[in-house]
Amino acid sequence: MAKSTYSKVDEYGFQRPENFNYEIKGIPSDRRTAVWMHVSGAEVLKHSSSFSYSQLKNKINNQDIIETIQIDLPRTFPDNIYFTSHDQLPTMLYNVLAVFGHQNKEVGYCQGLNYIAGLLLLATKDEEASFWLLKTLVEKTLPQYYIVTMTGLLTDLDVLDELVQKYEPVIYRHIHNIGMPWAMGTTKWFICLFSEVLPTETVFRIWDCLFYEGSKIIFRVAIALIRLHKQEILQTSELGELITCFRDMRNHETVINCHQFMRVSLIV
Amino acid sequence: MASETTEAGKMANRAVAAQRPNGSTQGKICQFKLVLLGESAVGKSSLVLRFVKGQFHEYQESTIGAAFLTQTICLDDTTVKFEIWDTAGQERYHSLAPMYYRGAQAAIVVYDITNQDTFGRAKTWVKELQRQASPTIVIALAGNKQDLANKRMVEFEEAQTYADENGLLFMETSAKTAMNVNDIFLAIEV
Repeated sequence: MAKSTYSKVDEYGFQRPENFNYEIKGIPSDRRTAVWMHVSGAEVLKHSSSFSYSQLKNKINNQDIIETIQIDLPRTFPDNIYFTSHDQLPTMLYNVLAVFGHQNKEVGYCQGLNYIAGLLLLATKDEEASFWLLKTLVEKTLPQYYIVTMTGLLTDLDVLDELVQKYEPVIYRHIHNIGMPWAMGTTKWFICLFSEVLPTETVFRIWDCLFYEGSKIIFRVAIALIRLHKQEILQTSELGELITCFRDMRNHETVINCHQFMRVSLIV
Repeated sequence: MASETTEAGKMANRAVAAQRPNGSTQGKICQFKLVLLGESAVGKSSLVLRFVKGQFHEYQESTIGAAFLTQTICLDDTTVKFEIWDTAGQERYHSLAPMYYRGAQAAIVVYDITNQDTFGRAKTWVKELQRQASPTIVIALAGNKQDLANKRMVEFEEAQTYADENGLLFMETSAKTAMNVNDIFLAIEV
């Protein structure tokens, strides 16, 4: 993991251990926007860009992209009070997705980005920051995940296959014997970056690492989830049971306790 | 035309049950693998939610990748366990679809009766299934959102003719009112 650039003294005045990793404890929620913008490179991207967010916002005109996004707006976190009780948040979500889709023609709008942008907005409450963070994730951290061929996703599913074979050969053989393609159990993990998959607090903790160290945290979390459910996975005897096991992983005690879960993930 | 309420849906279940050949299948448990395909936001997840849980959400979350649900139903002396793959509708997820329809015994191809484009997309799915899926796959065509018939863009007769020409089961459905939902799931199983 890369070296921490944070202060050697914590907020209570104690010296941090030599190998202290800020992400392990998570970024305080009121600092998340600034920290994510800084460590991900989104801040630099924003300032070095030849266009501003508001300039881009004035260029929204592609009817296909607009309609596709509008269909998904009320279908994004329909149970979240901020999305249902305020008009503002869906409008902000529309703006972020539409601006992104217009300035990146190769991706346009891909379902799944609505959940990522939605959580970015809930975390930052800042439309412009959410756009630059989304742009950084899609174009820098996860290249080719969301393009028409989804090449990046398919590649990373193969990488996961190899990692499980290397680190958990028993689970690997079991999953292959049952015949579950990784795409069946884990597409949403990669595409939504665990939003809509794991509890929100846990997702933000994962994203703290994602913005800082890039996409390898996705594999760490994936392996951690699979390891935590080793017994359950090995007890399944057919595809339906196995898929259900993967689907229900969000309910594991350790997954809900985000501190503990991040410790488990970072050991991987 | 068919039932509008859940109660009527239950009656339809019994009607289907009555049509089943008896004798050899007594006390049998069968698994039935089914996949839903169709354009984004036509109501695939809503049809499954109605069939499996009897619920309807005006704003159903968009499905990423695919969702897996099961429903067990007793017909006569046979217990049928439906294993349902509910797929993502956006064209981009198309390349992932074969893993879900491969090995499926039935497919429900869904379109939205208020949107002509979704009917075109349904036809494309039917063609793909006829070429690539198991030759014995049973295909049903569901014209969903029948509760919005006043905004209809796809005529019932047009879809019925297309279904007849292609050997498909066809019903107009409404996940919202439950109309024909149980019926279409059970009809393809029979």
